[in-house]
Amino acid sequence: MSYFDQKEPPKREDRLKACIAYGGSICGLATGSKRCLQDDGERGFTQGSICLLLPALAWMNSIPDSVVLLHGAIGCGSCAHSQNANVRSGSLQRLGKTRDALWLSTALDETDVISGGEGKLGAAIREADRRYRPAAIFVVASCVPGIIGDDVEGVVDRVQPQVSARIVPVHCEGFKTKIWATAYDAIYHGIGRVLLNEPEERLPVIPDEFGELQEKFRLSRTVNLMNVSSMGRGDELELARLLRSLGLDVNIYPVFAHPDEMYKVTQAAVSISTCPTHDDYFLKHLEEKYGVPYIIKHMPIGIENTSSWVRDVAAFFGFQELGEKLIATEERELREALEDFRPVFAGKKVFVNAGEFRALATAELLAELGFEIIGIRSFHHDEFAEEEYGKLAALGGDFAFNIANAQPFEEANLLKRVQPDVFLGHWCGNATAAKLGIATHVIYNTGLSYIGYQGAYELARRLYRQLKNPTFNKKLSRYASLPYTGQWYEADPFKYIKAAGSESK
Amino acid sequence: MSSFIERPRYLCPLGGAIMTVTALPGVVPIIHAPGGCAGNIIWAQNGGSGLQVGGYCGGLNIPSSNIQEREVVFGGGERLREEIRNTFDVVDGKLFFVLTGCVTEVIGDDVRAVVNEFQAEGAQILFAETAGFKGNSYRGYDLVLQSLFQNYAGRTVQKVRGKINLLGIVPFMDVFWRGNLDGLRGLLGKLGLQVNSYFSPEDDLAEIGKAAEAELNIIVSDVYGAEAAKTAEELYGTPYLSLPLPVGPAATDIFLRRVGEALALDSKLVERVLAEENRLYYHYLEPLTECYNDLDLQRYSIVVGDANYSVAVAKFLADDLGWLPEVVVCTDQLGGDQQALLTKRLSNLESGFKPQLVFETDTSEIITHLNRLRPRNQNQKYYNAFSPAFVVGSSLDRELAQSLGAPHLSVSFPVANRAVLDRGYTGYRGGLRLIEDLISAAIAGR
Repeated sequence: MSYFDQKEPPKREDRLKACIAYGGSICGLATGSKRCLQDDGERGFTQGSICLLLPALAWMNSIPDSVVLLHGAIGCGSCAHSQNANVRSGSLQRLGKTRDALWLSTALDETDVISGGEGKLGAAIREADRRYRPAAIFVVASCVPGIIGDDVEGVVDRVQPQVSARIVPVHCEGFKTKIWATAYDAIYHGIGRVLLNEPEERLPVIPDEFGELQEKFRLSRTVNLMNVSSMGRGDELELARLLRSLGLDVNIYPVFAHPDEMYKVTQAAVSISTCPTHDDYFLKHLEEKYGVPYIIKHMPIGIENTSSWVRDVAAFFGFQELGEKLIATEERELREALEDFRPVFAGKKVFVNAGEFRALATAELLAELGFEIIGIRSFHHDEFAEEEYGKLAALGGDFAFNIANAQPFEEANLLKRVQPDVFLGHWCGNATAAKLGIATHVIYNTGLSYIGYQGAYELARRLYRQLKNPTFNKKLSRYASLPYTGQWYEADPFKYIKAAGSESK
Repeated sequence: MSSFIERPRYLCPLGGAIMTVTALPGVVPIIHAPGGCAGNIIWAQNGGSGLQVGGYCGGLNIPSSNIQEREVVFGGGERLREEIRNTFDVVDGKLFFVLTGCVTEVIGDDVRAVVNEFQAEGAQILFAETAGFKGNSYRGYDLVLQSLFQNYAGRTVQKVRGKINLLGIVPFMDVFWRGNLDGLRGLLGKLGLQVNSYFSPEDDLAEIGKAAEAELNIIVSDVYGAEAAKTAEELYGTPYLSLPLPVGPAATDIFLRRVGEALALDSKLVERVLAEENRLYYHYLEPLTECYNDLDLQRYSIVVGDANYSVAVAKFLADDLGWLPEVVVCTDQLGGDQQALLTKRLSNLESGFKPQLVFETDTSEIITHLNRLRPRNQNQKYYNAFSPAFVVGSSLDRELAQSLGAPHLSVSFPVANRAVLDRGYTGYRGGLRLIEDLISAAIAGR
């Protein structure tokens, strides 16, 4: 039985043995002498983090002509106030019009907690359908309905015949998984179950056999380029440019895709992922149910990585020669352009922190640019990244490796020890380094470009700019402080990791 | 009542409590909740609080028990105990504040018992139960202050003449909280008062610990801080004075006079301060006069905001700037009494102007209120339009402004499109700041 026959997807701890606690070194991880795959006793001290609701909302709010109905307490989904900026700019860039995200909350109160929220949810779905007339309503269950036992699917089944929007249930109960990437599975699960049915075929008045043949040929050269909101428009255009250079047509999916067009993902020749953390759950489903094969291996951040990504696509279509020509031209032009920056980067020590694949791929790019990697932190670890660890270990030196779902206290301790020249951290993850006076740059921001050859150049350009004048952080560090005790900086940075995988235990 | 709230302009009580605790000097929150609550709230700050994220131990630095399914099944008390103990080792705090979320309250963890154990060992630690289903972020502010009054304000019954506590400005939810507190502290200082405002750089835990000594609690809000003030009244007999957030001369004159009366201050002193502040206000305003007239800068306006800003800004526009804030929308979820109180605040304005105050939580419904109150042109040749117009609201009201072809200024949460550091709108100087911001937006294309 397929996962997609179940109401909810499995959590990634179970499906992929994903874990979030490891402290040690890259060589320890790469050689397999120390592992954190499972045995995730985690930490005795933890700091706040995010749950799957956050990446889930970033994605769902991008979908045009839809509303997101959060079933939970009023605060769940507040993160959308920040993500709205991406919805506004992304809508303008892709659809030609700025629009605000539209999210609703059933705002469960104390009475609902006692007597259940199903009635309120049903009424809210009907009211949302009447008021906004959307093509789809994402009904998102957060922690409270998960604990009080609301039957979200039951409500959806009862209400669906009464409304015109298609209702997509999405499970985001934050306490059920510590791997927030489970969010991607949760939404893909909903899309897979509800939005992939093709519209009824309309027979054309005048048959057009040639047109049909053309369409068939176009589809045989169409690829799904998967983006769950980790790429901004600039990154999408860069990858689309490379794919079109191979003579391919591109269906960017699923961010900013209209619900009524979602089925088109089932018609492409192949699906191409840019990040194994994102799409494996859905791509396997597309292959099993619709016969659409997939490529999921390299993240096209970094020169080598981008070339490998292009090479895999070219090989799939038998366009190896064309692919090699493209790669050679692109690499030559890029390497020439990067020469200006190399003297500034040479020997500079860099530390990165991001989602697993992004952190590893970005580190590989930074090594290509001439930086020395002295530390990596990634949000979680699963089986997909094994090969990447080997690549990084092969760079030569050993360096600190920390798997942590944020946990800036470990980062502060590490940064004081290794003293990098520059730090790249995720959204809401650069302040620790900044307050220590280290030059910083955000490793993920949909308004900026990171991906492909163009992204490599743009990232280099921005790092060059940061290193040219890191005064903001330098001066800030004289007055700003971190909230940690003196004894913490003396302690082993991985002291609180309970997992047997920790080298410090 | 609607079965949902569209794009809530507030967070949960836990969110408000985190914003409040992280703004207290040297105080460290410890969240007893799943791991995502902190991040969700930090992202909301990032998007709504005028680009201010953090506090002493804010952002993703906040200790959190990050409970999971096993705690939901077996209880989270032990995990909380471990988290608190280790927080003392890792995080440098003068006072720790345990805050609970939905999950730990539904499963019934006895947080009081755990906190009591640490208190018995001499630890400086408090708690507040701030589950998301108990209200919104403003409730969280009150719950934290109530806990401070109950457990940290000292048991003194000796009132100190001239000491007051200032309540009603919720850190980060009022995006201009720092400037607003500074503005009011300055003015109250001119009356010779000693102000504990909890969250300013001048405040410290020693004074917060003596909050019971105050002879008056001044709440610059008709809603926020009211429950905390009632707690202080019950516990220490401290009376409270509740007034709207004073923005600009008209409201600030009333504010200072009422404070003076309540504390039986020398009325000559109060009037001297008023006269001097008004003189300065008009000294700075005066050179605008030519351009204000030449560019015809009077505007019809819609004011959209929380319980503080909706009333305060509308009064300023009507009674100081001489604009026409015909439609005022309060986006908070309020009870009948609270709604009546706010309505009364706008019913006898000094200018005689009569704004229409409506209560509407849902952003996309605001336009329907406007269309009802100011019907659109039905092809009349002569039509007294709602134009030129200005929208003062949150960053969510930009679509409304666009549909009216009106300029817009974000002042009420969420403020995604402005960077706010120490700017404030309270008092006389605050009125000048607001004029600068309004007029700058109105003439941005000049």
